[in-house]
Amino acid sequence: MTSEVRIPDPLDLDREEEARLRAAAGLAPATPTVRDYAGFESVGLPDRPPQTEREREVYTLEEGEMLVNMGPQHPSTHGVMRLVVKVRGEVVTDIDPVLGYLHRGIEKLCENATYTTVMTYVDPMDYLASMHNEHAPAIAFEKLFGIRAPRRAEYIRALVVELNRVFSHGLMMGFLALDMGGITPILYGFINRDEIVDMLSAISGQRMLFNFFRVGGVNFDANDEFFSRLGTWRANVLKNVEMSERVITDNEIFRARTIGMGTLSGKDAISLGVSGPNLRASGVAFDVRRAHPYSIYPELEFEVITHSAGDSNARYLQRIAEIKQSIHLIDQIVDKMPHGPVQAQVPGIIRPKPGRAYGAVESPRGLYSVYAISDGGPNPYRFRMRDPSFVSLQAIPKLMPGHLIADTMAVMASFDPVMGGVDK
Amino acid sequence: MANLRRPRAAAGGLGRRRSLTAPAKAGALVRLLLDRFGDLATDLWTDEDTVEVRIDGARNVELLKALRDDPDLDFFYLADAAAVDYGVGERFEVVYHLYSDKHPAWLRVRATVSRDAPHIPTATGLWEGAMFHEREMYDMMGIIFDGNRDLRRIYMSPDYRSFPQRRDFLLPDDAADSSAAGVKPLERPETWDLSRLSEEQAPGVVAHAEGEA
Repeated sequence: MTSEVRIPDPLDLDREEEARLRAAAGLAPATPTVRDYAGFESVGLPDRPPQTEREREVYTLEEGEMLVNMGPQHPSTHGVMRLVVKVRGEVVTDIDPVLGYLHRGIEKLCENATYTTVMTYVDPMDYLASMHNEHAPAIAFEKLFGIRAPRRAEYIRALVVELNRVFSHGLMMGFLALDMGGITPILYGFINRDEIVDMLSAISGQRMLFNFFRVGGVNFDANDEFFSRLGTWRANVLKNVEMSERVITDNEIFRARTIGMGTLSGKDAISLGVSGPNLRASGVAFDVRRAHPYSIYPELEFEVITHSAGDSNARYLQRIAEIKQSIHLIDQIVDKMPHGPVQAQVPGIIRPKPGRAYGAVESPRGLYSVYAISDGGPNPYRFRMRDPSFVSLQAIPKLMPGHLIADTMAVMASFDPVMGGVDK
Repeated sequence: MANLRRPRAAAGGLGRRRSLTAPAKAGALVRLLLDRFGDLATDLWTDEDTVEVRIDGARNVELLKALRDDPDLDFFYLADAAAVDYGVGERFEVVYHLYSDKHPAWLRVRATVSRDAPHIPTATGLWEGAMFHEREMYDMMGIIFDGNRDLRRIYMSPDYRSFPQRRDFLLPDDAADSSAAGVKPLERPETWDLSRLSEEQAPGVVAHAEGEA
């Protein structure tokens, strides 16, 4: 019978050394830490008493439970966010999202900016939907100021906004697959995005933070390069979308990891404030473009698409359907686009009369709205932005208990949050 | 062009009272609201696609619940909840925007909250999604939502003690308002007035921290 050979762990040696030194110095032995049980330090336990009932609930561990930090630099959190995940083995029992790593105080910045320069501050909020970010304040400020954009400007706005929606949803398809280990679709997503971004850069001069909308119109008229790129893109886009669809939709692994995952009922979705494609994938036909038509949407033909399943797969299919719907809308907009000016006459420094206005748009992530108050001065007295991903994020702690850790990322990607918007 | 030179209005006088001749779009809703909540809603106001009511903060849940559950009104979706600070000596407002399939207008409910004792009942019992909105309002404005079981900071760190979106919040480098007006305070740290950041007793935070010791 061979004697048991124990190879000492260097960490254990350190501990034995510490215990020997402590004994020699007449000190009490060190109290065992989480490391002694788990093999590594449990992270995320705050070194202060819990402030609320809910915080106590999350940070109180029962036998066999452990807290793991996902983030703030985790690639699947789509930005800088920390999820404190309470796990029992591989199964999630609770989640506490910790926000604020990207908080820039954009509301406060906008309250110190003039009505025109606000447009530059809201761009980097939800950086995959910059056009939508600018659309909502433009609507709210035009209501405050009592002017309307010319019809051609409204058509150009709707056009760029729908283009933005197409590339945002296309990226969502790619990121969803990427978070499940599929690398190819994100490349197709970025090819599609680059074509659209080049187009938008031709019209606005910027690739990402467009700074294109103005109170009472848009910055530039659509030019030949824009329309030429639009034509090239339009000729191939349906084929390309179907190609990435073929790569993802019927993939066995993708189906196994999305069907029945993170199922959100319509009732819960409404209660949680989830909006946009995520809400419509739960069967609720709420689309701001139809519910409170703005811009030229009353003149366009489209139906509000819904899916009934409410799971990750339904949210994915909803995005694909909306990409096709947006392409259909783009066709209509280009067909109907009138000639004329693209900017109403507004003074250099806009001072609306005191009042309040609410402007809401349907962004790729849902209901994006701005509540602006004017006190008669050159900058908004209060500028409030409601970002859809911020509110939708509340669904994650509700949905994830009972699922595996690895599915947390897959379900989160299906909600398509953007941390720039969540943290403002 | 005359109104370009208009002086800034006093903080209390924001917004013009318009007459109750609502646009045809929202007329039915205005009549319904006057009928149901004539005594509750102190002010009614409309613009092109918004109807607005003002109420006392203490009765917000009562009104919101009625608006949500009444089959004629059916405001089932909380679109937005935000806080507005009208300055020292004035008031806070918690502003709810609601959506209903049955009415072609957004409904804005402005609930007044005292600035000295900023307490208001929570709406998380009606909509779970009000949680993040209320945490943000607490974090940024210091409004305390009674009954909210997770009222902690959401953007700022847990040990932060001030409320950055209040009108009287000044950054140390806010040159126009600090004691070092006229110089660039970033270059002269000795002029920073940091005492108000560390000593100010933020309502709510201290009570939370001590309650658990």
